[in-house]
Amino acid sequence: MIELLAENLGISLLQAVIMLLFAPLIAGIINKVKAQLNKRQGASIFQEYFDILKWWRKDMILTPYTSIIFVLAPIIYFVTSFVAAAMVPGFIEGRFSFGDAFVFVYVLALGRFFMTLSSMDAATSFGGMGGAREIYISVLVEPAVMLAIMINSIRYHSTTLAGMVINYDTAYVSVSAVLACVAFFMVILAENSRLPVDNPDTHLELTMIHEGMTLEHSGRLLSLIHLGSFLKILVFLTLFGALYLPVNIPLVLKILFGAIAVGVVEVLNNKMRLFKVRVYMVAAIVMLLVAIIAE
Amino acid sequence: MITSITPEALHDTAEMLSANGRHPLTAMFGRDETESGVGYTIYCVFENIDERRMDVVKVVFDPNGHLEYDSITPIVPAAAWYEREIRDMFGLDPKGHPDKRPLVLHESFPEGFYPLRKVIPKNYNARGNRDFKIRTAKGEGLFEVPVGPIHAGIIEPGHFRFSQAGEAMLQLDAKLFFTHRGIEKAVEGKTPYEAMHIVERICGACSIANTWSFCQAVEMAQEIKVPRKAEIIRTLLMELERVVNHVGDLGNMPAGVGFNPAISLGGRLKEQATRLCEAVAGNRFLRGVIVPGGVRQDVTPELIAKIREVMTGVSAGVMDLKDMFDEQESFQNRINTTGIVRRKTAIDLAMVGVGARASGFAHDSRQDFDYGVYRELDYKIAVQETGDVAARLQERIDELAVSFRMIEQLLVMLEECKDNSLKADVTFGKGEGWGISESARGSNFHYAVLDEEGRIDRLFARSASYPNWPALTIAVQGDIIPDFPLINKSFELCYACIDR
Repeated sequence: MIELLAENLGISLLQAVIMLLFAPLIAGIINKVKAQLNKRQGASIFQEYFDILKWWRKDMILTPYTSIIFVLAPIIYFVTSFVAAAMVPGFIEGRFSFGDAFVFVYVLALGRFFMTLSSMDAATSFGGMGGAREIYISVLVEPAVMLAIMINSIRYHSTTLAGMVINYDTAYVSVSAVLACVAFFMVILAENSRLPVDNPDTHLELTMIHEGMTLEHSGRLLSLIHLGSFLKILVFLTLFGALYLPVNIPLVLKILFGAIAVGVVEVLNNKMRLFKVRVYMVAAIVMLLVAIIAE
Repeated sequence: MITSITPEALHDTAEMLSANGRHPLTAMFGRDETESGVGYTIYCVFENIDERRMDVVKVVFDPNGHLEYDSITPIVPAAAWYEREIRDMFGLDPKGHPDKRPLVLHESFPEGFYPLRKVIPKNYNARGNRDFKIRTAKGEGLFEVPVGPIHAGIIEPGHFRFSQAGEAMLQLDAKLFFTHRGIEKAVEGKTPYEAMHIVERICGACSIANTWSFCQAVEMAQEIKVPRKAEIIRTLLMELERVVNHVGDLGNMPAGVGFNPAISLGGRLKEQATRLCEAVAGNRFLRGVIVPGGVRQDVTPELIAKIREVMTGVSAGVMDLKDMFDEQESFQNRINTTGIVRRKTAIDLAMVGVGARASGFAHDSRQDFDYGVYRELDYKIAVQETGDVAARLQERIDELAVSFRMIEQLLVMLEECKDNSLKADVTFGKGEGWGISESARGSNFHYAVLDEEGRIDRLFARSASYPNWPALTIAVQGDIIPDFPLINKSFELCYACIDR
């Protein structure tokens, strides 16, 4: 038993490493799609690798007024994203994963919790504002993610992601499946700080949410935060492909489709008023509730 | 028309002039005439729109008397900044002014240093350390958000202090004038031709407006008649500058909400218009064309054809942009009812340009005064009612339509103009005069005084951003702080224009 677990754990970790290697590429593809749709040339799809490398090589500046949390948070954020990547059943045959869906959700919540803590650590007003907004949004996102997972756990009688994925049938297209697909995509945008909820490209500190929390980080810590963010969106797109997109194509294509869709949606939308985010999230939650009832 | 009065009479005169609201305060500035034995003076310039002229009230201080006067800010709110600036520059104290903090010279300047007094040499090295208290609201649960003076974008310096209750902005205090360049001091003693090159560089976005106002002031002082063709070219350049600015601003406003396709389209159109400017003037900022007495370059038939072609393209692009704005419901949701300036506020602050006209205050120097060839053009200025971000956006779109029509008419006039002289002969001697021109941001006012040798004794330059900045701090009240960049961009005020 222990041997089996060790072997499977190895496979899971291998998968997380592979995902980590490809995560910046997915971010690069999203950026390229956005640039092209705005009739711009755009940076190479490999640009994010260079950016990560650039931050990694740069000096790191730490103010003497911050505590250990400030240094720990980016590491925890990265590690939680990495663990989440290991938990998502995906590429590797056998589709094994450890931990159940609830662990998955709260591993990601742990990373976010530490990021908001560190946003207040440097005591700048932008960080505090970003942290407060992040909590406001995550309060709405968390129940939505739980509901989205519950749909599949009701259908497939399992609370492990592996159990759901093994039983997932792309041919099964129902009202509930379509609603869940749309709602989960909305959740992806909110959870990963994309438009229309947050603007990942802005330099306007007063409007920032996720970026506001990371303003004081630099060098390797910043590099880890970005890598964690790229990995997180890939994790969500993988989950989207594996459990919510009712189309019978290979998972890799589904992830690509998801990435392009994120880019397209970001071009079509502008950022909504901060207090309208709750309307957006409630819409997603209601769709998920209807999906559960239809199930 | 200049009326001289004593400091004691200023309050009553201002009250009389401002009573019916028909005489907005255009500018107020000091002058040091102690060398000629007169003493310090303050010029108050009120617009007389009914008679299309300026009423200049000159307050003369007794050389041996007290350097103080009763502030007119309580009755003419628009005077608030001017009185503070006069105090910084000349040390004339406005008694009863509600805000006696320095305006231009911050804490790094010494007390008792008044740079525009003639006794201060141009190369004087001023170092000091005085108090500058930024305004904040106090109370349980309130907090402050300091922003700037260094910003994340490539923009000029300005410090904003928000007093917040959660996301809601209770109060905003703006500390500007960080890069005061002493331009008004620098041009003293220079000939108008020498000064022109400095005046042209007050601001990169309004070179034509600044140069034209300056030239008008000098020409009025010397009673120079500008050839007709030069007047047409000047008017044409002014409208070109407006197109560049408005198109750029239309592309900039969606950047406040991350509306990417509109940002790209606006940027593309602005570049097309800017390249046209390069073809017309030989540089992208339209510098070096307008000079005292006329213009230095002709607009050739080939250029006329090119202007027509580019303007047709830009005009079509603006319509696309307008459709993009109209169809994007979530964008409309962001701009409607955000950042409201009421009509009363606009009139009280004597606001100018887009800011004034978006709030229902039809304040436009093109129709209020005679200059250029505006009187011969067939147009009607656009006015909006709601005073929010949406109104300022719509105002720019409507004004662009007006400008495109004006440019077409001007090109026809240029083709029909038989008189080919571009510049009148100019000699400079004693005199004083004012000039006004409607820049993309509003009226740009210059006042020039020349001495016996025809050198500048005093130049006062007030760009359009000056009266509109205080309105920004009022417009944000009641909105939430993530909406500030959008509100700020809808005014698109210039820092360099006030850092002169």
